[in-house]
Amino acid sequence: MDSATLFVPAFLSFIGAAMKKYVIKRVVTAAFTLLAITLILFILMQLMPGSPFNDEKLNDAQRASLYAKYGLDQPIIVQFFRYVFNMFRGDLGVSYKISKNTPITQLIASRLPISVGVGFAAVLIGAVAGLLLGLLAAFKRDTVWDTLATIISVIGVSVPSYVFALALSYQFGFKLKWFPMLFSAKDVIGSSVLPSISLSMFTMASIARFTRAEMIEVLGSDYMLLAEAKGLSGKKLIFSHALRNALIPIITVLAPLVVDLMTGSLVVEKIFSIPGVGSLLVNAIQSNDYNVVIALSFIYSAMYIGIMLVVDILYGVIDPRIRVAKKED
Amino acid sequence: MAETAVLTKESYVPTDADFKLKNNVSDNFVDSNFASQSFFKEVVARFKKKKSAVLGLVFVLIITFFAFVGPIMNEYTYSGQDLSKKNLAPRIPVIEYTGLFDGHENISTTSGVKTVNLYFDNKLTDTFFWFGSDNFGRDIWTRTWSGAQVSLIIAVAAAIIDMIIGMSYGLISGYFGGKVDMVMQRILEIANGIPRLVIVTLLLLVFKPGMITIIVALMLTEWVGMSRIARAEMLKLKEQEFVLASRTLGAGSMHIIFSEVLPNIIGPIITQIMFSIPTAIFTEAFLSFVGLGIPVPRCSLGSLISEGFNSFTTHPYQIIPPIVVMALLMLSFNLVADGLREALDPKLKEM
Repeated sequence: MDSATLFVPAFLSFIGAAMKKYVIKRVVTAAFTLLAITLILFILMQLMPGSPFNDEKLNDAQRASLYAKYGLDQPIIVQFFRYVFNMFRGDLGVSYKISKNTPITQLIASRLPISVGVGFAAVLIGAVAGLLLGLLAAFKRDTVWDTLATIISVIGVSVPSYVFALALSYQFGFKLKWFPMLFSAKDVIGSSVLPSISLSMFTMASIARFTRAEMIEVLGSDYMLLAEAKGLSGKKLIFSHALRNALIPIITVLAPLVVDLMTGSLVVEKIFSIPGVGSLLVNAIQSNDYNVVIALSFIYSAMYIGIMLVVDILYGVIDPRIRVAKKED
Repeated sequence: MAETAVLTKESYVPTDADFKLKNNVSDNFVDSNFASQSFFKEVVARFKKKKSAVLGLVFVLIITFFAFVGPIMNEYTYSGQDLSKKNLAPRIPVIEYTGLFDGHENISTTSGVKTVNLYFDNKLTDTFFWFGSDNFGRDIWTRTWSGAQVSLIIAVAAAIIDMIIGMSYGLISGYFGGKVDMVMQRILEIANGIPRLVIVTLLLLVFKPGMITIIVALMLTEWVGMSRIARAEMLKLKEQEFVLASRTLGAGSMHIIFSEVLPNIIGPIITQIMFSIPTAIFTEAFLSFVGLGIPVPRCSLGSLISEGFNSFTTHPYQIIPPIVVMALLMLSFNLVADGLREALDPKLKEM
């Protein structure tokens, strides 16, 4: 009794200290990564061919005044610090080509909610469908259902999302006309259906694969046998014993999903003409609007680093083995 | 009292409700006894057992074969244009008499759908485009396969180069440990935090796209995963006796890393290469789609899909061949990689 009362707080404080150290380490790494990204972006911007003001009609004096106006005549080090300062203050510069002299923050502000909305719908559809598919495969193991679920998940993992986007848009948009082929502001929900489904395929497939593997492991474990022997049955067995334990590790598939959603959204948004961040980036690349490309790269990187940070910390909270292993590292 | 107890025990008959069979016969796997074989033979045997992997390998081989032979199978070239023969539907000799691939095409007009055969309308009775022709009168058959060739070359080259870089990085980091490992792992963590696609895109904006620059850009993004695997394997192996023996005999670090440990981790490395090839194909296709792919007149699967997309509602046959080839290629490489992973590491838990 005595040893237990002493041990428990000690254990908690150990976890707390280890956890704190782990979180701090992850945050510092993330900050350095963001700084590295900013440096790379800055260097790349210097390397970009041409100058934003190589208009034939400008004479040297005008050009010099333009350079002075945008601070391009300063030493490179000063430019870098000013650039970093501006980035973190939320000033991403102005667009040179897509819509002249519009602040990029303004361009992004109207587009980000649309992209995030479609992405969120995709994750939701993918997670629910993937979970059901995985459970079906696990419970009907080694039957036709299992094979079917495996085939679907292999296809979903390996076929890129824009193939699905093209197929869906042709079949349900062009032929059957169930949903609009192109995004329209009047029918946001209807025109988000096809893009969300095509983006959700990868999520669905990886969650299905993962759920199946975890579920099979959990179903074969001793504590399931015990729960069954105790006389629990049906819903309770599945929901409070099997599913709960099988779902905890599902967070490990989150990181690759985020990456896929980001890359997938670029092309899928282009295919369905969704006025989101992805199609803005594609347009900027195609029209050589470097400022917008760099700014969006910064946003994408910051989002990516932020999500990775959250996922990593969540791993640590959920699975103590990870932070112990990290500590030994 | 005692007598009744005995009696009840004897008269007890088990019912269905008491227990049920777990039906886990499939788990009670008995290893069949076979003579010791070379590692390679065992791998081949295990690989053959997995039907999906064999199927994948067959598709990879077929596509690779056509990627190199397909473009020279007819008289067209990948860049030869002929505007008098543009937008013709697929037509294949002999098979055309079955009604399939006879060059007919459904065109939707305001007055409804009508079927036309441009080959006969334009008096091109001796012309055959097996997969049809595109908007510039180029043969889609030739372009699909030469695009597949370009995509394959880029993907395989990038995968092999990133294997060399990532593997060396991981092995060195794992072998030396301590401060070296610490510094190298921090660099790796930062590199891993950078979204790859962003960097590839920006690199190609700066250095104009071409086969070499695309390979370099792809290579820069994929080495992290490889180096993780190499390091983990190194950490497992470096404490083993054969490494100690080698060191006692006076072998240098580089010899131990590359001649002693490397041959032992070739399995996971090959698996990782097979997984990174489809990723490279996908990334290349993505780059082509946003206009940063192989410059014209060369084409890759990605650029063909991107071109076909512009007219995919009017002439769907133009986008189907490249998209099917690409989907099949990525699917097959993934299947092969999956099979190889299981064949090379049978202890791995079933996914």
